[in-house]
Amino acid sequence: MEAREAPGPAKRADADLDALLTLVARGDQGAFEALYERLARPAYGLIRKVLRDPAQSEEVVQEVLLEVWRTASRFDPAKGGAATWVLTIAHRRAVDRVRSEAAAAGREQRTSQAAGAARDDVADSVEATLDAELLRRCLAGLSDVQRESITLAYYGGYTYPEVAKLLEVALGTIKSRIRDGLNRLRDCLGVS
Amino acid sequence: MRLPRRDLHSLAGPYALDALDAGERDRFERHLERCPRCQDEVRRMSQTATALAMAAAAEPPAGVKERVLAAVAVTPQLPPVTTRDRPRVSLGAAPRAARRYPRLVTAIAAVAVAAAVVLGGLLAVTRHQLDSAQAHNQEIATVLAAPDARIASAPVTGGGTATVVVSHAENKLIFTSAGLPELAPTQVYELWLLGPGSARPAGLLPEPVAGKTAPVLASGFTAEDKMGMTVEPSGGTSSPTTTPILVMPLPE
Repeated sequence: MEAREAPGPAKRADADLDALLTLVARGDQGAFEALYERLARPAYGLIRKVLRDPAQSEEVVQEVLLEVWRTASRFDPAKGGAATWVLTIAHRRAVDRVRSEAAAAGREQRTSQAAGAARDDVADSVEATLDAELLRRCLAGLSDVQRESITLAYYGGYTYPEVAKLLEVALGTIKSRIRDGLNRLRDCLGVS
Repeated sequence: MRLPRRDLHSLAGPYALDALDAGERDRFERHLERCPRCQDEVRRMSQTATALAMAAAAEPPAGVKERVLAAVAVTPQLPPVTTRDRPRVSLGAAPRAARRYPRLVTAIAAVAVAAAVVLGGLLAVTRHQLDSAQAHNQEIATVLAAPDARIASAPVTGGGTATVVVSHAENKLIFTSAGLPELAPTQVYELWLLGPGSARPAGLLPEPVAGKTAPVLASGFTAEDKMGMTVEPSGGTSSPTTTPILVMPLPE
């Protein structure tokens, strides 16, 4: 990975994770365990946030971690860091699960009860880590629609048309609020 | 909803948050392959999403780590994607089975973590066995999908690891192994259900491929039974003739 700027702590940590995942791809179980120590908590917390149900979250996080092991050779550092790769898999799996459940259980009910639910729990259940504290402050700096679009989509597992419906905002507006909100978040968080 | 192509790039944000339905996601991913600007945008936005994930960290329930590591120990990994076609190897079962892998993955994708343990075993199955393995597979999937399915691993005396997935509700269990020492051609690993004062035969292990054996399905056990394994003459015996190299309690 070439560094255009001096790597901050976060960036160095990412590089370590990339190296670990590369070892995992070669069948190194010790490296996998080290990777587990670093990423199992975010993966589980994220899945839990989307799925809410502890038993299902446990099942999905196990699937995800095993998928990381199985498909580690497909990780390409050029396309983003190891944490992003792993957590993207985790999020995708959680969202797929919540949507298939929703399809089975009836979409309407879920949509009607969710608007308020996702609003505050971003900050509520996150642990009092620096990450969470910084994120809380950065989220607070967004407009209401930006913040809610992002949290409903990412933590709630909703599609953007569903988010538009929940917030009673036009589709095009949601897309641009998500983009603007993510860009502002990135600046605020100092994500490289 | 279908967007004209020129509007597709506006989906980078929703895509990075997984906020597209399956159809739009596919469409956007095809677009992404040809749009370096979108790739860059998705990469940056995904990193921001990662910060959202990191902030949500929570401790996984007890046992998750052990189960995942046990599964990892017996689960084969996908080879890297190479730019040239991989040379086709016509000898040996493993490469042939490997080509069927994606289909098997799809077939069992829905089942729990232990599925991959068994997939590891399925890789060991030769091609002509695969059709009957599909039926077998179905039965295995039933065990894995059972809400009460539990997994446990134990070391085998002399080397290797045994893994058992049990559903007490289905009264079925699956046995796989990795890294067992190679036997003489006249010998076989035989499984036993060991109860108080009794040993019932529970199947013979197939030939390992790449160190792993295909799953063996057994039923008719009680909660007190233990899983046992001995080395026996080819064809197996009706009661153990050697000292067990494995005695493990069934996970509850």
